[in-house]
Amino acid sequence: MNSSQNVLLASHGTDGAQAAELVALELCEQGGHVHHLIVVPTLWKGMTGDDWLNNGKTRNTFRRYLEDQLSAECDENIKRVKTAVEAHDLRYTSEVIVGEPDECLENTSTRESFDLIVMGSPRPKGKSGLRSRMQTKKIDKLSTPIYIVPYPDE
Amino acid sequence: MVYSKKSPALFIIGLIMLAIWYLGDSGLMNGYIEHLGGKKYKYFGEITSLPLYFGLISAAFGLMQWLGPQKEGNWDYFTSAIAGAMFILIIAMLVRWFVAPEIAVWSKAMGKVGDTGKYIHKLLGLNYIVLGIVVGIIVVNVFKVPGWAENGVRLSRLGLKTGVILLGTLYSAAELKNLGGLSIIMIGFFVLGSVGMVLWMGARRNIPNSMGGVLSAGMGVCGVSATVAAAPVVQAKSVEIAYTIGTILLWGVGCMFLFPIIGQLLGMSYVQFGAWAGTGILNSAQVAGAALAFQPDGIETLKVAEIFNITRVLILPIIVIWLAVWYVKREQTGEAVKVGKVIFEKFPLFVLGFILLFALSTTGIFAPPLHYKGKYFDNTKVKASKMMTDEQIATLTANSDKIQRADQKAALNRLIEGRKIASIEDDATIRGLVNSRVMGKDSGKILKKAHKAVRWTAPKIKAFRKWITWLFAFGLVGLGMQITIGSMKQAGGQPAIIGGIVGFTKAALSLVVVMMFVKETI
Repeated sequence: MNSSQNVLLASHGTDGAQAAELVALELCEQGGHVHHLIVVPTLWKGMTGDDWLNNGKTRNTFRRYLEDQLSAECDENIKRVKTAVEAHDLRYTSEVIVGEPDECLENTSTRESFDLIVMGSPRPKGKSGLRSRMQTKKIDKLSTPIYIVPYPDE
Repeated sequence: MVYSKKSPALFIIGLIMLAIWYLGDSGLMNGYIEHLGGKKYKYFGEITSLPLYFGLISAAFGLMQWLGPQKEGNWDYFTSAIAGAMFILIIAMLVRWFVAPEIAVWSKAMGKVGDTGKYIHKLLGLNYIVLGIVVGIIVVNVFKVPGWAENGVRLSRLGLKTGVILLGTLYSAAELKNLGGLSIIMIGFFVLGSVGMVLWMGARRNIPNSMGGVLSAGMGVCGVSATVAAAPVVQAKSVEIAYTIGTILLWGVGCMFLFPIIGQLLGMSYVQFGAWAGTGILNSAQVAGAALAFQPDGIETLKVAEIFNITRVLILPIIVIWLAVWYVKREQTGEAVKVGKVIFEKFPLFVLGFILLFALSTTGIFAPPLHYKGKYFDNTKVKASKMMTDEQIATLTANSDKIQRADQKAALNRLIEGRKIASIEDDATIRGLVNSRVMGKDSGKILKKAHKAVRWTAPKIKAFRKWITWLFAFGLVGLGMQITIGSMKQAGGQPAIIGGIVGFTKAALSLVVVMMFVKETI
C-alpha cells in the first residue's frame, strides 16, 4: 500500500485498535501527521440505568467517578500512542469526542483532508470487551480511503 | 443557560389530551368504550377529568415556551421539565386507557390458555405498567428521547419517590410490623447471602477485588442503585461497571416479565408475590414494575414489595461500609473508611417522608387510626345484601364444632345471631379463625365475606391509592426511557457468569422460602 502524509487513526486502545496503531505508523510518511481520534461511546451516558433510589449527591459522585475513570483511560491511551508516533518522527495530534463512533469518524474525516483512515477490526466473538460495534454503513460512504486492519492472530 | 426548548411539542401534547377529554366527555367515544368493555371499563372517570386538567396546563405552557420569549433563570429551569413530564404522562395515559384494554380485548377473543384458566394477557402480565415500561424502552432505543423532553424525563425518579412517600399513608401499625419483620428477615438473609456468595465465587474465579465488590453490591442489595453507590468506594474500573450494570439491567428486565407469569401460574397471593419480587428481583425499579404487573388494578402487592425495597435501601449504606472496609483491607490501601460520612451521604431521605406519612396516618388523619391495610371497621352501614344468608349460617353452624377456642366460639355465635360481625374485637378474632383454617374452605369463604362487609376504605385513602398508582405508572414509564440497549448489551464477562448463578439461586431459593413460610392473610 502507498504511504500517506496525513493519517486519521481511530483507536481506543483495544487489541484490535493497537494493531491499527502499528499499521498507521508504518503507512505514514516520514515527517507526516497522525491524528488520533478517541471516541467515548454514548453508551456510558446510560450507565446510571434506571437507578432511582439514590440521592442526587450519590449519583453525581458516581458520574464524576466514571468520567474520571474514562478520562484517565483516554489520557493513558493518548500518552502511549503519542510516544510511539513521535518515536517515528511523525507529528501527533489527538482529540477525544463523546458520541457514536461512526458519526464521530465521519465528522472528523470530513472536517480535515486526510489521505487515509486507519482503524481496527471489530472484536471477534468470544473475546471479552465492551460491545460498541461500529456501524459500517456510514463509513462505507466516506470519500477518504479506509484501511481496516485485521484483528491480531485472526 | 436557557433550558426550555422552542418547540411546539408540549402544545401538541396539550391538544391531544384535550381531544381525548372532549371525545370522552361528549360521548363521541362511547362506541369505542363499549368495545373496550362497556360497563366493565374502569377508566372512564379518569378520561373525563385528568386530560382536561393536564391538557390545559400543557397547552398553556406549550404556547408560552413555543412562542414566548426565553429568559435564563429559575422559572425557565423548572418549567423546562414540564414538556418531558407531560411526554411521559401522555404515554402512560394512552397505554393505561387504550393500549392495555385493547390487548385485553384481543386476548379474551383468543380464549383461555390451556388448563391455566387464564387469558394470555393476564398470564403474561401485559398490563399498562409493563406495556408502559416497554414503550419507554422503545422510545429511548429506537427514536431517542427528544431534546425538549430530556429535562422532564428525569422527573420520573421524583415520581417514584413521591409514590413511596405517599404509600406511607396506607400502612397500619400492625401491617408495617408484620411486613417489616418479614422483610428484615428475608432481605437480611438473602442480601448478606448473595453478597457473600459473589465475593466467594469472585475469589474462586480470581476476579479483581474491585469487580467483586461492585458486583456483590449490585447482585445483593438493589441492583443498579447499589452499583452506583458502591462503584466509587471499591474503585471499580469502567469496564467492570459496564459489565455489572449490563448484567443487572438485562436480568432485571427479564425478571420483570418472568416473575408475574410464574406468580400467576403458581396462584401466589399478593403478600407472597410482593415478598418474592421484593427479595428475588435484583433491581429495585423492576421490583415495583413486577408488583404492579402482577396486580395492575390494586396496590396490595406493591405495598408489600415496596417495604422490601425500603428495607433494601436502608441496608445499602451498611453494605457500602462493609465493602469499603473489605476493599481497603484486601488492597491494603491504608485509607480510613469514614463510616459516618458514608451513612450520611447514602441515607435515602425519601424514606423519612414515608415514615412521616406513616406516623401521620396512625393519628387517624387519613383513616380511622385502627385501620388495617387502609380499611377501617364499621358495622353500622352494612348493606342488607351483605348480611349473612340462612344458607351461610347453616354452613357455619354445621362446622362450629371444630372450633376449640372459647373466644372464637363466642365471636362466631355473635356473628350468627346478628348476621354480621358485632365488634372490632370480634372482627380480629374472626380473622384469626379464617387464618387458622379450622372450619374448612367453605366456612372460611363465608367468614372472609363477613369480614369484608364491615371493612371500609376511607375516601382519603382511596384518593391516595389513585395518586400512588399514577405516580408509579409515571415513574416507571420514565425509567423505561433510561434503560438503553447499549448498556444492557454490555452484560458479559465474569459478572454475567457469577451474576447469572447468584441471581438464579436467589430467585429460586426466595421462591421456595416464600411458598413454604409466607401465607396469605386477610
